Amino acid sequence: MARNSHEKRAERQWLLILLPSLVLLLAFVIYPAIYSIYLSFTNEALTGAAALRPRFVGFRNYARLFNDAKFWNALFVTFVFVIGSAVIGQFVLGLISAMALRRPIRFRRLFSSIILLPNAAPEVVAGFMWISMLAGGNNATLSRIVGFFGVTPADWLQVFPLSMIIVVNTWRGIATAMILLTAGLSTIPAEIYEAARMDGATPSQTFRRITLPLMMPTILLYMLISAVSTIAVFGLVYALTRGGPGGATEVISIYIYNQSFTAFQLGYGAAVAVVALVISLILGIAYVRAMKVEV
Amino acid sequence: MAVVSPSESANKGRSDLIAYATLSLISIFCAVPFFWVLLASFDGNSQLFLHWPEQWTFANYVRVFTKEDGAKWLFNSLFVVGSATLLVMVLAGLGGYALSRTRAWWKLPFLYAILLIRVLPPTALVVPLYKFLLTLNNAEAAVLRPIFGSYARDIMRWTGFIDGYLGLILVLATMQLPLALWIMKTFFDGLPRDYEEAALMDGATLIQRIRRVLIPLALPGLAAAGLFAFMSAWGDFLLPLIFLSSPELQTLPLGLFRAFLRINEIDYGLLTALAFIYLLPAVVAFGFARRFLVQTFSGGVKG
Repeated sequence: MARNSHEKRAERQWLLILLPSLVLLLAFVIYPAIYSIYLSFTNEALTGAAALRPRFVGFRNYARLFNDAKFWNALFVTFVFVIGSAVIGQFVLGLISAMALRRPIRFRRLFSSIILLPNAAPEVVAGFMWISMLAGGNNATLSRIVGFFGVTPADWLQVFPLSMIIVVNTWRGIATAMILLTAGLSTIPAEIYEAARMDGATPSQTFRRITLPLMMPTILLYMLISAVSTIAVFGLVYALTRGGPGGATEVISIYIYNQSFTAFQLGYGAAVAVVALVISLILGIAYVRAMKVEV
Repeated sequence: MAVVSPSESANKGRSDLIAYATLSLISIFCAVPFFWVLLASFDGNSQLFLHWPEQWTFANYVRVFTKEDGAKWLFNSLFVVGSATLLVMVLAGLGGYALSRTRAWWKLPFLYAILLIRVLPPTALVVPLYKFLLTLNNAEAAVLRPIFGSYARDIMRWTGFIDGYLGLILVLATMQLPLALWIMKTFFDGLPRDYEEAALMDGATLIQRIRRVLIPLALPGLAAAGLFAFMSAWGDFLLPLIFLSSPELQTLPLGLFRAFLRINEIDYGLLTALAFIYLLPAVVAFGFARRFLVQTFSGGVKG
């Protein structure tokens, strides 16, 4: 009996130690998330009459979303951005890097260090580096490089805006994909490959029949993590194009920012934010379920 | 068993060659954008595009610290991000320990909840966050003004929630907390309880156990949590963009961004020197974090 009450006191002590973190998370994440839902039902604005006296408008903001072509454009651009950079670009290059680095070749550490480098570049710096690569028409660094191979130079960010932010985000995320997929690859027992080689399997057969199926859990986790983090990308796109030209790269985080801080429509911006929160939460719950967290 | 047939070794050689070729191509793709920042920052005649400097110079770096506000921006960034990182380390160290040792019912829901918190896009939170911080800020000002009069403004620069260091530090730290708590919880899980129990037998209090036994043991985990917090807070652009407006409070990413906005007279030498200064701590931290990075990610996948 005495032991039990002692344990109970100890458990309360743990909660006390966790309390400061809990308070910060409640105040600066949970409360804003809930407040965001509330705001989305008002006509709150940063300036004008609505700023002084915001009103409850029910589902009006959400009804407006349905007829807002720019909102659907933002969802579509975000979708293409996530599929292009996270699901395809980072994944393919990350997997190739991870598989190549498994071979006992020389300079492995050097190669992996270089591939990790883009991930270390702060968003704004990454944006400027790529403006140097892409902007300036014939003078742009990329134009000069591909011009050497006979490709017509272009104003890349103007002509292929969405493709270019996909390339840049791919560049930035190869490292994460590589690290995660390396971890996944290392869980496949070497004997299985040995056996396949004995049976005379070709490399492509081995890849399709062994590597891919056994990697599926890792790949699923990677896809969810990278989709979630790509939806949240703001600084990179903002530094590169600020959503332009003409909304071609206006991903959902840029659209929220523009609605709230350029158009000052806080209530409407919050409705868009709630959509982004819900999509991220759904992916997040899928991630937590797929991960089967050991606690 | 170790006999390798000639065709097999030729096959292996070819595979290695393919590995070298693909890794080289991917490495070039990864590295080339960095050359511009590096070369242009030492170039007396910097341009937007990549070219080999004809006259090498340190003048750009000197100008960052003398003519421009580079030193101020660097200080602001180091102060804000450094404070946030320290705060994260303390809170995650304590919280992670509690999460590792407790058997209370709230442990599992809490751990799942912070995983989901990490998923929420910051852009979707900044508007309500801004309004909330503004309310706190006004309340603080209402208390400080009658007491400190005209000095209240100077105090608010440090303790303000909007356009003050404190608000940004708290929000930056909170954004890094979920990952740091997970890192520390996993770290303490791997730490044997023998030491603590021995200390407990000796009649040490919780505080004593934490200070004499746990902190020394926890240092590698704290270093990992701190590095991750530092890296992402250092790179963050959105939060300072929204919470700071006074020129004297600007952080490096903001200073850099504003320098790039002077459309007609962008000084690329200055810009790239500033970018290189901003890049350096991030790359150094990343170099240190490499080891933890692989462990953390593989730990996450294992489950």
